[in-house]
Amino acid sequence: MAFYPDHLDSLAKVVSHNLAYQHDWKWVERLSAPPPGASPLIKRPLLYGLPPKRLYVHPDEQIDLIKAEKARGEPILQEPEVEWVLPLHLSEKWSPAQFADVFDAIDAVPPGRGGEAPDGADPGPGSDAPWRLWRGPKRGKRILMATVQDDSTVTYYWIFDGVVKPRQN
Amino acid sequence: MAAASAPPAAERLVRISRIAGRYLVFDIDDVVYIRRCHGVCAVLTGTMPQNPTQNLFLGLPVELQAEEAKLLVDMGVAYVADELADHLARLSDPAFEPARRTYREHLRQLRKTAQQAFEEEKARVAALHADKRGGKKNKESKKKQPAGVEAASAEPESSAAASGPAAQAETPSLFDDDVPPPPPPQPQKQKPSILPGVTPSTSFPLTATPPSPASSAPADSIPASVAPSYALLTYLNSRGYYTTPGLRFGGRLSVYPGDPFRYHAHYLANGYGWDEPVPMLDVVTSGRLGTAVKKGFLFGAERPKAAAEEGEEGGKDKGENVRVFCVEWAGM
Repeated sequence: MAFYPDHLDSLAKVVSHNLAYQHDWKWVERLSAPPPGASPLIKRPLLYGLPPKRLYVHPDEQIDLIKAEKARGEPILQEPEVEWVLPLHLSEKWSPAQFADVFDAIDAVPPGRGGEAPDGADPGPGSDAPWRLWRGPKRGKRILMATVQDDSTVTYYWIFDGVVKPRQN
Repeated sequence: MAAASAPPAAERLVRISRIAGRYLVFDIDDVVYIRRCHGVCAVLTGTMPQNPTQNLFLGLPVELQAEEAKLLVDMGVAYVADELADHLARLSDPAFEPARRTYREHLRQLRKTAQQAFEEEKARVAALHADKRGGKKNKESKKKQPAGVEAASAEPESSAAASGPAAQAETPSLFDDDVPPPPPPQPQKQKPSILPGVTPSTSFPLTATPPSPASSAPADSIPASVAPSYALLTYLNSRGYYTTPGLRFGGRLSVYPGDPFRYHAHYLANGYGWDEPVPMLDVVTSGRLGTAVKKGFLFGAERPKAAAEEGEEGGKDKGENVRVFCVEWAGM
């Protein structure tokens, strides 16, 4: 833990506790060191964890899901996915270069927990169905941006790499 | 529409008039062209003469943002003319005398066309009234007054008919302007009183050719402050997105997946410098605002040339080095 400065360490702790105890995430872990090959700009502990339910469905994925559900005649269960979390304080200033570095350093899917296989690494039969392609390593890079305020309120925003269609339009 | 008469897209060069630091397009065909073929919508800023007391619906000219003007110039579909310098140069240069004459002829033709349309409309209305009165005549015979009106309206018509042949005789002179056309002064002397006043939206024949480089404003006269959002605009435009100014939704640009007549905006967009520190509060509030209006907040920056490969200096400069990110409220 000595890898990161103390204030960033505690920032990550605030977010980690918030996820675990307020939002009931099943587990939250942190990268103990920046990903290999990451730029020295990332002097920050990255978190990843498993939310209790699926947090993000791309609008086009939703269309594929509805089509697939209609074809199968039964609902498709939405398994939660492991997500990246980037702890930030509201008073910070980040440049686009820093965001680009973070995205360049990570894989689309966070590492699995312990010996657990990474999410989406179980290609069953019919794994090339359109609705499946939105999960696993083929999904676009996204990070849950956790902004901590002075009163330790944490608010969460998705930040996506590239032009990604908004969910509600 | 007017676009039907527009020349083919390949040879069209849009004139962007720079007036008092604003970039304006006055020609309706140009406006249609840049919107349809290049996704630049910009904003109508002119008052409508028919209804000058409202500002909900506006007309020509269209005002471009500085980065939109630069984008069009860089794509080679437009040139920026410093309107004041250009007009003064043209009007004082004797070499432009044929162009001036063409312009005057063009104006006269416009007025004649307007006059003709006006007369036709009047004749149509008069005929309509005459029909109505003819039908009612049996029932009410005391409506004498309209007859007087008709007589009065019939009189200018005959004068218009007299001027009709003269107008037709003059039409060919518009096209062979190299030869000084001897316009018959006789009919013109008596006509100015009846020809309606017409204000054309462009001084087109006068400005038919692009100005010399000396009088045209250089494309790089765009203020440096718009450079970040210019890079973002280039990136989005090259991917087929339409943009309008984004003040309505709190950003620099509103980004549409197609023509704004057909689509809602998908993003509100801001451009930043590559190493410009962006306050997290801005990202959060814009992201929240975007989500509230069912959009995403898109921000982007261009990686400086030095950091990217210096070597490839080809025409692939369509926002290749632009990195963009989208922010949405996570809903938790």
